[in-house]
Amino acid sequence: MNLRFDIMIPELFLFGWAIVVLTADLFFIKEKKNALLYMSQFGFLAAAALVIFTPTGPNEVGFGYMFYNDTFASFFKIVILLAGFMAVSSSFEAVQKSIEHKGEFFGLVIMSAVGMMFLVSSTELVSLYVALELSTIPLFILTAFQKRYLKSSEAGLKYLILGALSSALLLYGMSFMYGMTGTTVLLAGSITMLLNSANVHYGLVLSLVLVVAGLGFKLALVPFHMWAPDVYEGAPTPITSYLSVASKAAGLAALTRIVYGFYTVGTAAEYWGILIAILAALAMIIGNFAALLQSNIKRMLAYSSIAQAGYILVGFVAASQLGLSGISIYIFAYLFANMGAFAIVVAVDHKLNSDRIEDYAGMARRSPLIAVCMTIFLLSLAGIPPTAGFIAKYKVFMAAIENGTLFWLVMIAVATTVVSIFYYARVIKEMFITEREVESSESKWILSSPITIAILVGLIGTLIIGIYPEPFLELASTVTQSFVY
Amino acid sequence: MQVELIHFLCLAAILFGIGLYGVLTRRNAIGILMCVELMFNAVNINFISFAKFITPDKIIGQVFAVFVIVIAAAEATVGLAIVILIYRNFKDVFIDKMNIMKW
Amino acid sequence: MLEGSTAIAFYIISFVMILSAIAVVTLKNIFHAALFLVLTLFAVAALYILLSAEFLAAVQVLIYVGAISILMIFAVMLTAQLTNYNIKQTNEQSLPALLISVCFIGITIFAIATNNKLGGFPIKENTEIAGSNTANLGQLLMRDFILPFEVVSVLLLAALIGAIVIAKRDN
Repeated sequence: MNLRFDIMIPELFLFGWAIVVLTADLFFIKEKKNALLYMSQFGFLAAAALVIFTPTGPNEVGFGYMFYNDTFASFFKIVILLAGFMAVSSSFEAVQKSIEHKGEFFGLVIMSAVGMMFLVSSTELVSLYVALELSTIPLFILTAFQKRYLKSSEAGLKYLILGALSSALLLYGMSFMYGMTGTTVLLAGSITMLLNSANVHYGLVLSLVLVVAGLGFKLALVPFHMWAPDVYEGAPTPITSYLSVASKAAGLAALTRIVYGFYTVGTAAEYWGILIAILAALAMIIGNFAALLQSNIKRMLAYSSIAQAGYILVGFVAASQLGLSGISIYIFAYLFANMGAFAIVVAVDHKLNSDRIEDYAGMARRSPLIAVCMTIFLLSLAGIPPTAGFIAKYKVFMAAIENGTLFWLVMIAVATTVVSIFYYARVIKEMFITEREVESSESKWILSSPITIAILVGLIGTLIIGIYPEPFLELASTVTQSFVY
Repeated sequence: MQVELIHFLCLAAILFGIGLYGVLTRRNAIGILMCVELMFNAVNINFISFAKFITPDKIIGQVFAVFVIVIAAAEATVGLAIVILIYRNFKDVFIDKMNIMKW
Repeated sequence: MLEGSTAIAFYIISFVMILSAIAVVTLKNIFHAALFLVLTLFAVAALYILLSAEFLAAVQVLIYVGAISILMIFAVMLTAQLTNYNIKQTNEQSLPALLISVCFIGITIFAIATNNKLGGFPIKENTEIAGSNTANLGQLLMRDFILPFEVVSVLLLAALIGAIVIAKRDN
């Protein structure tokens, strides 16, 4: 046993900070509760800084492989913390409007982030499962946090039931992984020796299908996506954005740990590629076509995020250094664009009390800056240059082409990207072209400073990666070091 | 009569399948949660029988089962809190009567 | 491998477990279903004793039977109209659901059996566990699995806070 507390300082700090926020809640009078938001922002940024200064590498292993701080983990931690920072920043209006227990709200967001950070560092099944649940149980609660809205409570219940079901499937798959090897450590070296060579095909396929189904629920992959639009629509919008980025990134990290750690060994390697490729194709097709039909922007972004998970899986199937670094850059681009778009949805919801796409009509006249920002975010999600989304899609598709056998998947990806342009463009068209009577009493919109920060961070990230991607590509290529092919 | 690992695994598979049937057919949130508990129990049977037959010298399976039980309890608590919230505010716990949102 | 009387006990327990589990998923009255859940959980606890996991059998009775099921029964009784016989408790998908579950069970058992026949599960011949099982479990929890043990306490704190906030009556 090696008790390496030094490599988990960011997690320990963030958990301590959650307790500080929860305690501070008791000492602030009602009018001063905004301070909790600033405290949470600080917590996320400070933890991100700590992650940068924490040593990474193959030797930074603690607690018998239950905590492994490789570059992969610390990259995902930065993504999760940035997503948390932007979600908290964009929650200023929503919290004032419909959240009663502010201290608990921020405390639970931070605890969920702690769970995700442990999750991306786990290379062992028990700690992976516990961390996964630590990241999702606060999210069930946060989804149901607007207690006066039936939609929110109902979304929370639906999310909880499907979350529990997916945990059961995942655990059932994990039990077979353990049964076939006698170990729970997800490390290629130890598994190769234990896995009883050629005779485990059936057990491997069974456990693989169950594990992918279980994580497929968490990642909202088709056909396990039914919960996502409802939960995304019902949850408080900042939580929706957090769900769509941080929870997806953490789930993807868990899938990477399990599939690359366990199923790439010996005979297991033959199976997962085709399964994940089919899931990717389904996610891209169903996600994009269903998004075309939506009239509520949160539901549209929910289906769009289902489709985005499909594009990420295209890089995942490529199973190469290129593929993994493509995924990393994709998640980074998706983080900024999606969080930014959701921050604007929060702002519009606050001003107009509506999530309907028609109500975005005339936005360009009402508040040109917001309309331009939203356009950039949507273009990035669609993958149009000069935004980050273009670089990301390009990298992922190139990795899949290089693989040689995945040309059909790339064709589907490109075709569905074209489809996706239609629904993103529809919002842009509403904002810039559709005329709308603007009441003279409507003044210019002035946004609160936290939400402006969230939009600005998203904007800067999207444009910098789009225009000057080299340093980010370099960073992304270091992420894959701990995975050997 | 002999009972081996495979018998326990088959029993767990049947229990898991029954739970799955319940999740798919129950209309009531509490009912669905009960069926999910059946599935968690099937998983635990799997873990504990693997612990006995595969790794008797290091019973990791039992440790896993402890965590599953703890987390199932936490999940059930949160689930029932939400059920009670919905019942108190909206007087209904049937999942497919709650159709403000479509499935 | 279990033989003789323990094998007979296994079959009796399995029989009780499967029948009561079927009752849990099919009974019209949700309160009766909850009571059968208690019976199923007891049967699982008995199975744990056969698998020489005495501590887990006790935990199963204390936490599952003593806490979770009681919580469920409380929730059923608080939402009292549910015990009404006239309310339909199942939806219209029972036939496809039956098909899915039977297929699931069939495929899973086929995969397990084939895997087992090909020697995919590395069964140790000597299945007698050395020393006290409970002591082994405690040492594993406190030594090898100390990290998830600590993380799960954070999880319990989060669930506690969340359940209170959600179920609390606001004015």
